[in-house]
Amino acid sequence: MNIAVLIKMVPDTESRLEIVDGSLKEDGFKYMVNPYDEFAVEQAVQFKEIVGGKVTLVSLFSDNTSIDTDLRKMLAIGADETIVLRQQGYRGDRPSANARILSETVKKLNADVVICGVQGIDYYQAATGPMVAHFLGIPHVSGVTNLELNGDKLTASRQIEGGLQIIETPTPILITAQKDMTKVRFPALKDIMMSKRKPFDNRDVDTKEGSDVLTTECSLPPARGGGVILEGDGPEGKVDKLIEKLKMEAKVL
Amino acid sequence: MTSVVLVGEVDGDGIKDVSQQVAGVAAGMGDVIGLIIGKDVSKAAMKLAAGKVVIADDEALEYYDPGRYAAIISQVVAKNNATKVLMGATTMGKDLGPRVAAELGWGYLGDCLEANNEGFVRPNFAGKVLAKSKPDGPLVASIRNNAYPAGESWSGSVENFTGDIPDSTLNTTSIEKIGAGTIELTEANIVVSGGRGLENPENYEKLIRPLAATMRAAAGASRAIVDAGWVPHSHQVGQTGKTVTPDLYLAIGISGAIQHLGGMSGSKFIAAINKDPEAPIFKVADYGIVGDLFEIVPVLKTKLENQ
Repeated sequence: MNIAVLIKMVPDTESRLEIVDGSLKEDGFKYMVNPYDEFAVEQAVQFKEIVGGKVTLVSLFSDNTSIDTDLRKMLAIGADETIVLRQQGYRGDRPSANARILSETVKKLNADVVICGVQGIDYYQAATGPMVAHFLGIPHVSGVTNLELNGDKLTASRQIEGGLQIIETPTPILITAQKDMTKVRFPALKDIMMSKRKPFDNRDVDTKEGSDVLTTECSLPPARGGGVILEGDGPEGKVDKLIEKLKMEAKVL
Repeated sequence: MTSVVLVGEVDGDGIKDVSQQVAGVAAGMGDVIGLIIGKDVSKAAMKLAAGKVVIADDEALEYYDPGRYAAIISQVVAKNNATKVLMGATTMGKDLGPRVAAELGWGYLGDCLEANNEGFVRPNFAGKVLAKSKPDGPLVASIRNNAYPAGESWSGSVENFTGDIPDSTLNTTSIEKIGAGTIELTEANIVVSGGRGLENPENYEKLIRPLAATMRAAAGASRAIVDAGWVPHSHQVGQTGKTVTPDLYLAIGISGAIQHLGGMSGSKFIAAINKDPEAPIFKVADYGIVGDLFEIVPVLKTKLENQ
């Protein structure tokens, strides 16, 4: 089974978010592999361990930031090779343009299964996966919390309101991973050493036209008042105070 | 006049609240063509708040299928010369929106907090940054629940979809209900969340769920206890979980890591119970109680029950 895993590099969750003249200041960002994509890598490797085949990582990122160490970690989990598409002026908030470029590379891999995270923890559009599936001309199932192989079919449990939609699908298929899908392993030292010898292919790609809506202005959400501690006589007194506030002020009771 | 296709969702015999809210938004943007897709949905579809309703009611449409649903939407868009498609940011909307946008070659904005003729606002970095845009081309957008008042139900013209329903290789074999009767986090007016201060998973079941039931609230969780396996990820609020904007967010035994605050700081009111007066959660709390949650939560529950 050939599996392609799409990896997005996202700003570290500890990154300082500062707005200057209506734009997000991005030059100090450190990048990391999108956590949802790590679940996708783990799932792909688990399938390879059952039925054999090859796991190829595909990432689209800017041409001037090193991400080798981060992607080597994904290879240490058990993926076989990495293709990094290096693009001048890359932006993570253009799912349509980015999906077009990714799908051109993925198409040539003849993957049976394409897996990526359900969303990036930067822009939260949850759009790239379904868009890549459209450009590949294959169906997709998103937000999958459990994925199983059943002969030549897959069974996916997709998170919906109040439950799960259980879907059976043949390949080729694109799946987007929700957090519960897998637990990412800690690679053994031997696998970390091996990962350094795996193919790591940097390719330059041009910018592509997409139909993305560009952000015109960024702002920080209005600061919350907060910081009010309710005083009262013991648990009873404090709870009485809270209930009074919830009734009279917040009007939620 | 702009034509807007509003993709609504049925909930039992009625229409989902979020769909009616988006109907209200759509009405401010142009002529609204409501579209309801499913099986045995014709009666409920009449309640959609739109002047014209198109109903695609077919055996093959019983379960959500992105390819099939997107194909139907594209046909309704073409027939009505629409330039906007709006839907609720539900698990269906957030999945369907990008696929429809790719198929039509249009722009896409997901999980919008604000949508009107002045522009669109959507959260980045789990709500820690707000991104505004003024799209001038054709657009697909999904809009978050609780952002707008619901449009009013009225009887307009009704039309049956007569176009093509494509074949699909996806086969939905079942729907598994989890926690039947519980309220969905992203749709709840009140969210009661628990964190590591609960000490063990049994206390989550003993203290958080019953309090949530009493308050008719959804039960949420911090990342720490999801990672520890106490509750499924579907409960997680924060940067790698759900972003919620209820009227009241009640955080119990949650210290308030920045990633958690990102997922709930858009709530109208925040209350927090924690024994550590220095916990960051108190900085954003409108009502903070410093104290032992094991003493306070049972008192709170009893007093609420006697209301």
